[in-house]
Amino acid sequence: MDSSIDFKKSLIDSILAGLMALVLFGPIVGIVLDGYDFNTEYDRVAWFVAIVMVGRFGVSCFLQSSKGKEMLFKRSSGDSGGVIVTSPNYKSQMIWIIPVVILVGLLVPFIASKYVLTVVILGLIYVLLGLGLNIVVGLAGLLDLGFVGFYAIGAYGLALGYEYLGLGFWSMLPIAAILAAIAGAILGFPVLRMHGDYLAIVTLGFGEIIRLILNNWADVTHGPNGVSAPLPSFFGLEFKRRVADGTTFHEYFGLSYDSGFKYMFIYLILFLVVLLVLYVKKRLVKMPIGRAWEALREDEIACRSLGLNHVLVKLSAFMMGASVGGIAGVFFATYQGFVNPSSFTFLESALILAIVVLGGLGSTLGVVIAAFGLTVLPELLREFAEYRILMFGVLMVVMMIWKPRGLVRVTRTGFATRKGALK
Amino acid sequence: MSHTIIKKSLLSIAVSGAIAVSSFAQAELVIGVAGPHTGAYAAFGEQLWRGAAKAAEDINSAGGVNGEMIKLIKADDACEPKQAVSIANRLVDSDGAVAVVGHFCSSSTIPASEIYADAGVLMVTPASTNPTVTDRGLENVFRVCGRDDQQGDVAASYIVGELGAKRVAILHDKDTYGKGLADATKKTLNSYGVEEVLYEGLTRGEKDFNAVITKIRSVDADVVYFGGLHSEAGPLVRQLREQGSTAIFISGDGIVSDEFVSVAGSPEYVDGVLMTFGADPTAYPAGKAVVEGFRANGWEPEGYTLYSYTAMQVIVEALKQNDLDPIKGAEWLKSNSVSTAMGVKDFDSKGDLQVSDYVMYEWDNKGKYAQVN
Amino acid sequence: MDIVLQQLVNGLTLGSVYGLIAIGYTMVYGIIGMINFAHGDVYMVSAYITAIVVALLSYFGIESFPIIIVGTLFITIAITGAYGWAIEQIAYRPLRNSSRLAALISAIGMSLILQNYVQISQGARQQGIPNLLSGAVRFDIGDGFVQITYMKLIILLVAFISMGVLTYIIQKTKLGRMCRATQQDPKMASILGINTDRIISIVFVIGASMAAVAGVLITMDYGAFDFYVGFIIGIKAFTAAVLGGIGSLPGAMLGGLILGISESLFAGLISSDYKDVFSFSLLVIILIVRPSGLLGKPEVEKV
Repeated sequence: MDSSIDFKKSLIDSILAGLMALVLFGPIVGIVLDGYDFNTEYDRVAWFVAIVMVGRFGVSCFLQSSKGKEMLFKRSSGDSGGVIVTSPNYKSQMIWIIPVVILVGLLVPFIASKYVLTVVILGLIYVLLGLGLNIVVGLAGLLDLGFVGFYAIGAYGLALGYEYLGLGFWSMLPIAAILAAIAGAILGFPVLRMHGDYLAIVTLGFGEIIRLILNNWADVTHGPNGVSAPLPSFFGLEFKRRVADGTTFHEYFGLSYDSGFKYMFIYLILFLVVLLVLYVKKRLVKMPIGRAWEALREDEIACRSLGLNHVLVKLSAFMMGASVGGIAGVFFATYQGFVNPSSFTFLESALILAIVVLGGLGSTLGVVIAAFGLTVLPELLREFAEYRILMFGVLMVVMMIWKPRGLVRVTRTGFATRKGALK
Repeated sequence: MSHTIIKKSLLSIAVSGAIAVSSFAQAELVIGVAGPHTGAYAAFGEQLWRGAAKAAEDINSAGGVNGEMIKLIKADDACEPKQAVSIANRLVDSDGAVAVVGHFCSSSTIPASEIYADAGVLMVTPASTNPTVTDRGLENVFRVCGRDDQQGDVAASYIVGELGAKRVAILHDKDTYGKGLADATKKTLNSYGVEEVLYEGLTRGEKDFNAVITKIRSVDADVVYFGGLHSEAGPLVRQLREQGSTAIFISGDGIVSDEFVSVAGSPEYVDGVLMTFGADPTAYPAGKAVVEGFRANGWEPEGYTLYSYTAMQVIVEALKQNDLDPIKGAEWLKSNSVSTAMGVKDFDSKGDLQVSDYVMYEWDNKGKYAQVN
Repeated sequence: MDIVLQQLVNGLTLGSVYGLIAIGYTMVYGIIGMINFAHGDVYMVSAYITAIVVALLSYFGIESFPIIIVGTLFITIAITGAYGWAIEQIAYRPLRNSSRLAALISAIGMSLILQNYVQISQGARQQGIPNLLSGAVRFDIGDGFVQITYMKLIILLVAFISMGVLTYIIQKTKLGRMCRATQQDPKMASILGINTDRIISIVFVIGASMAAVAGVLITMDYGAFDFYVGFIIGIKAFTAAVLGGIGSLPGAMLGGLILGISESLFAGLISSDYKDVFSFSLLVIILIVRPSGLLGKPEVEKV
């Protein structure tokens, strides 16, 4: 391979890129509107153009080197393969990590500060959401852009159930899961005939409809003012500073009041629920229903020819995912103590989808990593103040370009044919 | 050559070390400024920040609070309740804030205030006007702005008393602030025996309101009351005039911004628009100096800037009088008055201002507003 | 009667603008099968460029409205087209061989980037441009009247002209044939000597230009915008594209008009609170009856 670098070509590339940058950044960066008038900021444009030119020159040189050519070739030939199939009797060497993670997870609330704990709780809520959506998008291959609708049903279920029916956290946890599943069925039944992206926009519409109803139906939902949601109780003991009747948690145990207790408690329940969902998902994938989801994702027509009821299979994925979303909603409401419609916008759906895709479709470990990444990252980026969301967007694009299949590839244990079966 | 560089860098290390030591020796008073510094409401976040920063600068240059310098922390909630909760926890937990100026959106203020109450942090919001903010009986929550119901009262009595209007159309932007304002106005109007002819919500972020304006025309309204912000009010009033309606347009303090005129497209459209807003701060001698201070820095103190400045003054006064103890300070505020850039402020037991100073303003055809006498 | 007519006029102008933006979604989808979520923000960028060009023109003392609107249209289309091109190069081209979901996430990231880039460089405040053209046509009908501003008439005129020009380009010119060929089968098209990468870039530029036309028209009419303005209108235009059958050019225009008119009628005659609920429900119902949208080709299930 010829590895000499044609600097002249790189230079031309760089100048062209600079001109383009001038056209792009010139007006928006260089001319700042001020009422009907404007101020000029030429130096900012100069900086932008210079950065683009230097960057382009570097990239151009790199791509001409043998390493760059190799990368380019790899990219244009498309990345190969989907899941990694391991041998049937493969046992992971990393099995010891599970008890360690569980142990560390249980210890977190006692060592972390309150702020860190709240961020971790939020991260776990997104893990739940990611796991729920992963069933729908990752396993069953149905693109759902309105997942936030189920999340809202769970959250508002807790808040409104408490207000109108006096139901607390513990009774609402299963009820919200069922409610969300029913909503999933109602949405799923008519729309599952649709294909790919039509499904996407209908689900997007569904999510928006739920939010708009919550916002507009003020007599019941209090509209934009929101509703407060109850905290979970510890065998009837409340986590408040004081309650009108009965004893509070800290009084019962003779502790001095600390608002951290409630977060610790929420964290512990949430952690256990996440473990449970992880376990259920792991088993589901190995069950006929899980196999059917993935088979349907790969080839719908073949599945139907083999006698799978595609509507029922899709519907089950939809309902399963929705109920996990509902549970996440309950936790979100109780953690925040307050819900209002502005928490359930389309951007939230997009964020959950980003978790699933960044993590790697269908991969559980990937979802967990991505969920933490995407919730902790904006907090870490707080140092960048107003550049925070910009950086977040840049990272999203860069991550996708770098690892379009997500962080973690799905591995699956292969089949061993049974003894006596035909080869 | 290289010698001088080394010398310079050594010098700078020494200097920065000295600064670090001195700042270490002098205790800092950490105060959070929480609001939407990013996102769709970032313009208001900037007003909050400018106001608080100027106040902190003025107070620090006058010797600080009982010798301690104020250190401000910019806390961004993007007007999302979710972020408000985590930023509130961060402020009280990691940053060790004793007081907070903020938040902006009532929907963020409400959940965040619970965390501040738990942690015993004094919170003064310059902008959250929703009644729920103070109605929950939290000890640490104050506001230096009015309540939606006070503002609605002023608007409704003006509509009935001064304008004598019979056919009133009420619009809101389906947001906590706008809807609260519209509801308060509607309530007072109804108590005067005037039933609104139309009550509808718009979508925030949209710019086309022609459909609802045609509807206003069809019900033949002579007054249009809008609860919302200037970003929607501007296009709304413009499209109202473009469709040939001459109904009087009234709104609240959400449209107090020069941007209202530029967004409406021309001063001719805002001519005659009425709005309720706090009494003119430049009427106070203290306020006048502050306003001039802002202008000297090239920043027009519009909207909530002065409210934020005032919130900071209230916090500082409460801390100063009570050995920097925020809980005692909160207690103290409920029985003492504070003189601020916006006049003397007295708080009631809930943390609301005792006297609502809302008055009616009118915009003229040059794009300026003045108090209606 | 006059009220219904006025609502129809309102809906027609709104719908034609939706249609213009929907074209960007539908063309990109048709050619690479991806939902370009950053498209609404491209529209937003064009609104800023419009205001900047108008401010520059008035700085140089140009007062005549025809020159302003024509000049603004040309400059805005050129710069916004460049944005469309650059976005494709940076965020989508590297993902050409990856799953469509990866491109979707990249698009969402790009949308965040554009919003925040504009917010940081231009400030978060509300922006406006001065009213350039006053006056309206007024028809008296019985007791009532229908009033249409000149600017609204210009919107209708320019929107339909640009749709006509685009249809001509796609249907009659060589470039259009290459676009259609790439849309039908990119691999075959490239074997037959079409530079498909270039065609895809051109499609992005065309989509952005149509968004720029909408940006200029709307900004001049409503006069108000901010860095967040692309979001709602983007979702609406996307809905319009799906309603008409995504991938179909006349479908996007039809979808836009239907969405605009039905929205105006619903808001005007029933309730503006539930206007958006109505538009999304309409979409769901139409898709249930016609799963590929109004003018979309029914998907053939290949075995």
